[in-house]
Amino acid sequence: MPPSSSLAARSGGHVTDTFAMLGRRQEIALVLSIFALIAFFSFTSEYFFTVRNLTNVLGQGSLVMIAGIGVAIVFISGEVDISVGSLQAAVAIPLIEVMNATGSLWLGLAAALLLGLIVGGINGYLSAYVGINSLIVTLGMLFILRGGVYLYTGKTAIPDDIYLESFFIIGNERFLGVVPWPAIIALVLLLIFMYVMSYRPFGRKVYAVGGNAEVARLAGFPVKRVKFICFVISGVMATISGILLASRLGSAVHLAGIGFEFQVVAAVVLGGVSLSGGIGSLLGMALGVLILAFMSNGLGMLDLPTEWQLVITGIIIIIAVAFDEMKRRRAG
Amino acid sequence: MPAEAAMAGTVAAVPPLAMTGIGKHFPGVIALDNVDLTLEAGKVHALMGENGAGKSTLIKILAGVYGKDAGTIRIAGRETTLSGPADALRQGIKVVFQEIALISEFTVAENIFLEEYPTGRTGSIDWRKISRDAKALFERIGFDVDTSARTGTLPISQQQMVEIARALAQEARIVVMDEPTSSLTPNEVALLFTVIRRLTSLGIAVIYVSHKLDEVFEIADTVTVLRDGRHISTKPIADHTNETLIQDMIGRQIDDLFPRSRGQASDKVALSVKGVGTEKLEDISFEVYSGEVLGFFGLMGAGRTELAKAIVGFDPIDSGTIAVGGKPLRPHDTRTAVSLGIGLLTEDRKGEGLMLELPVVYNLSLAALGSFARGGFIDERREREAAQSYVDRFRIRTPGLYQEIKNLSGGNQQKVLLARWLLKGLSVIVVDEPTRGIDVGAKSEIFALIDQLAADGHAIIMMTSEMPELLGLSDRIMVMGEGRITGSFSRDEATQEKILNAAIV
Repeated sequence: MPPSSSLAARSGGHVTDTFAMLGRRQEIALVLSIFALIAFFSFTSEYFFTVRNLTNVLGQGSLVMIAGIGVAIVFISGEVDISVGSLQAAVAIPLIEVMNATGSLWLGLAAALLLGLIVGGINGYLSAYVGINSLIVTLGMLFILRGGVYLYTGKTAIPDDIYLESFFIIGNERFLGVVPWPAIIALVLLLIFMYVMSYRPFGRKVYAVGGNAEVARLAGFPVKRVKFICFVISGVMATISGILLASRLGSAVHLAGIGFEFQVVAAVVLGGVSLSGGIGSLLGMALGVLILAFMSNGLGMLDLPTEWQLVITGIIIIIAVAFDEMKRRRAG
Repeated sequence: MPAEAAMAGTVAAVPPLAMTGIGKHFPGVIALDNVDLTLEAGKVHALMGENGAGKSTLIKILAGVYGKDAGTIRIAGRETTLSGPADALRQGIKVVFQEIALISEFTVAENIFLEEYPTGRTGSIDWRKISRDAKALFERIGFDVDTSARTGTLPISQQQMVEIARALAQEARIVVMDEPTSSLTPNEVALLFTVIRRLTSLGIAVIYVSHKLDEVFEIADTVTVLRDGRHISTKPIADHTNETLIQDMIGRQIDDLFPRSRGQASDKVALSVKGVGTEKLEDISFEVYSGEVLGFFGLMGAGRTELAKAIVGFDPIDSGTIAVGGKPLRPHDTRTAVSLGIGLLTEDRKGEGLMLELPVVYNLSLAALGSFARGGFIDERREREAAQSYVDRFRIRTPGLYQEIKNLSGGNQQKVLLARWLLKGLSVIVVDEPTRGIDVGAKSEIFALIDQLAADGHAIIMMTSEMPELLGLSDRIMVMGEGRITGSFSRDEATQEKILNAAIV
């Protein structure tokens, strides 16, 4: 088992490896919170605990989760990426335009992916190699892409004219009629990257670079390249979430993804990923996504105005992170 | 190449490392000039010298952090270059820096295999092997540590052991220890020495960088001394005495480590402390006179630093009064404390004293900045002149007033901090461990400065855990234990025994 670095506390040799790993996981607390939320909302609304509703929540959370994988990896490497919302809107344009022009889903996907790679590459190049603060770089990118989208679309949506069945399915239909496809895709990506972060040398390098870049450099790691790759991963993940969103919307919408980056960041930090790098896990991030998704769904059923949902979400994020921080400080 | 191989065959033992004629210069400074260093397998080679002598530069070249400008490096007889940290490691050189280079969020086992994680056939990391091998490595060096613990939770001494285990994991043949004991307790030092001997018994050559004489005499086989970037001597340790080593290091004899130019203290009370109590302190009362050095001694946890911080208004007090020059000091108020003329020369220069990234002149003028203001602007010319006068007077060695202070040696940094308070016109200066991290030569200069300040009529309160400077410098000595004053001696009646007896409560 990976002796996960994300988590405080130690284990003795006398307990089994698995138990030791679970014991030091703060993810336990997140799982318990989810159960508590589910229990609470099941009590307050009879519609909450139904297959239909729960799978809906999964579907709603899946876009945040996919982009969250990339953003969490960037955070763990000690950098920040807040350009994902604009990128989500931007990639829909080459996707829809190329599909409209060629009639091919694959060419459309390739075009979208290309844009995602370029944007992630620019973010990574400027942050890792040129050394500009990544908050500034990706903030700039957020404006540039949004402005570009407005300019290109003339502030209207570009509809999907050829209406490919395959394109419709990925964002709107359900696996075996039950689980939305985006949720399946999110789960598969999550498992792949959880494996990468724990079992591939690259994943450990990301933790090392974020944990202490100087040590990583002394150990001979290509610190800049590792960070660069993290940004590219984040660009690709945001692109995938953008493709799914475009499918759901059936068009490239100029207003898509506004504020999305903050939903993602909220889920990532709620899941215990530290802004200062080196700390956190993708599992935690995924649980953070679920907590926020269940909250918004459950609070919506309480007929609570959305304004109040925002306030409550904000309070919960701050409390959760403060709690984390205190625990970490006590652990030394 | 064949000739070399033949030579290697005839010579009994090829040195694991031979550096010859190493040169390195930085803009404006020659850091190393024609330095030689040859190691022997299974031996400890001490590298000594004052701060700025070139020790750090030399080991950074060995670590691959700096490139050399001149000279050759041979590893096991073969000429080589060290193109970077990773390359140096590959060639079997492991440097354990003073600042431990481990990732604190990782487990011990993870850190040990940081350079290269063992992977299975699919390229997946083999965590079971990592855990097993890490345990085996610690058995080899004879040290027990929980390999699944998060590294950051371990004490420095154990983190050092992790670094050593890491050296073994990388099959290093040369291990460099950079001032390894600077934050260890005596027991931990003993343990470290056991482990170092274990390393040499495995045939590893160890470079031991230090300026602590007793340690070097205990652990080293050979010692090389550098001074001002030049090679001064390389001798078996048996050929050295304390005196010859110091002489090599500072290039002159120190006849009088504690010069005394001042006369009798005046009878003017500069600071009066009455019944001060805090969470850690109990009923502390004493007076200090102008022109006097009052030494405070105490073991760890005796409350010296707490007292220092309380009387300069840094920390709150629960009871008692403090008066500077007859005027009452409001507790927990450093602003008025400084304006009354009392300030602290902290023991934590980097954390509480210096603005590392800023130049000497800004660090020096900080406290007195207001006095250089003219119509809301700083008169930089006057500021510069004032700073320069202290640089000259205190013989602060810096390439210029605008040098970033982090590039100065510890002794010179300390002088700048002292100058900061004098520029502000303080009459009472509390110095906490004034020579911590400062080498022998600079120590005597600091002592001379403190003596000079007292001669000029300042009152000096010196908190120290170093017996020689306590006895050498103080006019009177107060001993603390568990937050109380447990003894008070005049200069004449104080002896090491009396002081220690009073300190052990």
